[in-house]
Amino acid sequence: MNAWLLAGVVLSGAGLAPCMWVSARGAPHLRLVGVNLAGTLVAVAFLVLAQGFGRSSYQDLALVLGVLAPAGTLVFTRFLAGDPHRPGPSGTPEPE
Amino acid sequence: MTPRHLAALVLLVAGVAVLVLTALALVVLPAPYLRLHALSCATSLGAPLVVLALAVETGPGRAAAKLLVIGALLAAGGTVTTMAIGRATVLLEEAQPKESGH
Repeated sequence: MNAWLLAGVVLSGAGLAPCMWVSARGAPHLRLVGVNLAGTLVAVAFLVLAQGFGRSSYQDLALVLGVLAPAGTLVFTRFLAGDPHRPGPSGTPEPE
Repeated sequence: MTPRHLAALVLLVAGVAVLVLTALALVVLPAPYLRLHALSCATSLGAPLVVLALAVETGPGRAAAKLLVIGALLAAGGTVTTMAIGRATVLLEEAQPKESGH
């Protein structure tokens, strides 16, 4: 066990648990915050574990996740909040 | 223990501490807007610190450059997604203010 593996364990345990908790409760757009932070934490965990195992090729996982996680979150926000070029629900007042 | 390894460990501990604190802040901060602060700290401070630690440990070269690219991706992606989630939250909170009172 070295410092990098220990960091990976701490990130996976103490970091991901709150994200899972937030991702499992509340309205969808409130859960999305937990999912987004989990993506960041997992990407960083991939990096430190690659260093801890001495296999730099594992860093490619973090590179792919660093690209796809934000893309996935943007897809979620698009489906949750609708088309950015059209005024949102607050744009046009609903007739009472 | 070389000074470079020591510097890498200091950066690593700082980065992991920031990331764990932001994860805990996610649970503690009230929804829906204050939680977004946790997101931006993780990607603009925590992840870059850990990436810097890895780059210092790896030493100058192509591998360190690759790590820094990954760190920049995480920072840029995090910023964009935090703003996108903020916008979605504003639109959805206005559309359903009574239901989501968390």
